[in-house]
Amino acid sequence: MKKIMIIEDDPSVREELASLLCDEGYESFAVVDFKDIRGQVGEIAPDLILLDMGLPGRDGLTLCAQLRRDMDIPIIFVTGHDSVGDELSALRLGGDDYITKPYHIPLLLAHIEAVLRRGSGTGKEPDIIKAAGIELNLLKGTVSAGGNTEELTRNEVQILVCLMGRAGEIVSRMDMMEALWESQIYIDDNTLSVNMTRLRGKLAKIGMPECIKTRRGMGYQL
Amino acid sequence: MKASEFFADRALGLLLRAVFAAVTAIFLLLTGTKPGIVVILGIVWFLVLACGQAVDFFQCRSRLRELAAVMEGLDKKYLFAECVRAGGTVYERRLFELFHRAGRSMIAAVSDSEANQRQYREYVESFVHEIKTPITAAELVCRKVDPENRRKLSCELEKIGSHVERALFYARSESAQKDYIIRAESLSELVAQAVGEHKALLIGSGVRVETGDLGYTVFTDRKWAVFLLGQLLQNSARYSAAEPVVTISVEHNFMQEENLARGMGAQPLVSRGGNKVRLCVRDNGIGIPAHELSRVFERGFTGSNGRVRGGSTGMGLYLCRRLADCLGIGLEIMSECGVGTTVVLVFEEKKELGTFEA
Repeated sequence: MKKIMIIEDDPSVREELASLLCDEGYESFAVVDFKDIRGQVGEIAPDLILLDMGLPGRDGLTLCAQLRRDMDIPIIFVTGHDSVGDELSALRLGGDDYITKPYHIPLLLAHIEAVLRRGSGTGKEPDIIKAAGIELNLLKGTVSAGGNTEELTRNEVQILVCLMGRAGEIVSRMDMMEALWESQIYIDDNTLSVNMTRLRGKLAKIGMPECIKTRRGMGYQL
Repeated sequence: MKASEFFADRALGLLLRAVFAAVTAIFLLLTGTKPGIVVILGIVWFLVLACGQAVDFFQCRSRLRELAAVMEGLDKKYLFAECVRAGGTVYERRLFELFHRAGRSMIAAVSDSEANQRQYREYVESFVHEIKTPITAAELVCRKVDPENRRKLSCELEKIGSHVERALFYARSESAQKDYIIRAESLSELVAQAVGEHKALLIGSGVRVETGDLGYTVFTDRKWAVFLLGQLLQNSARYSAAEPVVTISVEHNFMQEENLARGMGAQPLVSRGGNKVRLCVRDNGIGIPAHELSRVFERGFTGSNGRVRGGSTGMGLYLCRRLADCLGIGLEIMSECGVGTTVVLVFEEKKELGTFEA
């Protein structure tokens, strides 16, 4: 499990962030005592540090420069001060990424994931997703089951990604729309219905007609 | 100063002198002086008087011109009294002393209010930065609330966030040092970020966003441009009609030139000049009445739509104009009641040098 260290002076943000990261499958350590941060970092040896720029006593930039001097741990700056000067000095002093408050949670997680991936050098997202007996090829944009293959549009691929990522769970229409908007598909309710119908048609062609279930009043389920 | 004005000022004195001369002439004639001598005396008297008045007039005029030139050369006009030398006469020296006193008190007042304004701006900026921490905390807490309430809460938080953001940009746009860097930015990323930031509001208002080909690189500051786009998206969501659609697309200059070359005529939105990228944000909302259109960029102007729908501050488009002016982005608006509104941002596609000001 990846270890993430949170250096943040506001207690409520600190606690909530720690619990968020735990839920997302990271091991999180929140710094409570700001005296010997370097020692604590050395002890825990995290894979990533989330560093607030405005810390009591000393500012995050100095700390970053210090940590950088003898450790090679990726650092993401989190700050409320989104001025150009701050961003520049953050990146110049060895920060790997920079994100401003208030952040959207998915965005924060995406940044964390990206920095971790860059650090560890391991591969990208998988090209093929398998769930509920169907196989989605993201590179070709095709779906296949039992030897039959059907081509999908961009919208349909993203809908399927959303459902397959949470296979078995009920995904509400709102959740699905938000996920699609994240992938820059800005559709409304009607368009989602139309796309859903088409996707079901294509799934029926490859022999999986009842693959996506509608749960009335709740959403869709794979 | 014209001669007529000069003499009008001195009319009473001149009149008195003329009366005095006439009385003297009558007295001389009655006491037996020959009329010829009286006439000669009269002519001499008149010539001397005329010369004196003429010298006075030219001196006065050149003095006034000198003062006007000093005023013209001044950057801050209220420092005038500090910059001129008082003339020779006691009257003028006294007058300038009074001007000096008035000027000094004015300078003190101006620098006081400048200091106050700066402090206030700094306070607003630090307030905005401080408030972001609790908003972040609330956003994180939201996660634990059930989905429906979470959505509502995060929508409200987004609103708070955008109000706060507006305050920050207002404070920034008023300040002399501009906090931006002009860099090459991908237009599609700018749009994606702006839409992403207002996702909750747009989805909540049932808006469908359509994007055209946005594969352009423009030179601008990311943060400011995203804020600008965000204001336009918020307006589109707020003043929407049935089945709202927002279209974000680029009208490129080349396309228009081609159209012109093919004799298809210009599109209604024609721009001249170098490589400009015209980013159109078009909605099918309620539109703005024609007579209000020229005033929408004014500060505090809410218009009939703002009054009917409420919640309008009249600051969004005003800020857009100010920021766009700072960044050198052209801003155009077209609207028709009941059909929709189109706002065009005209970006520079290519610029020789990026500027850096922090």
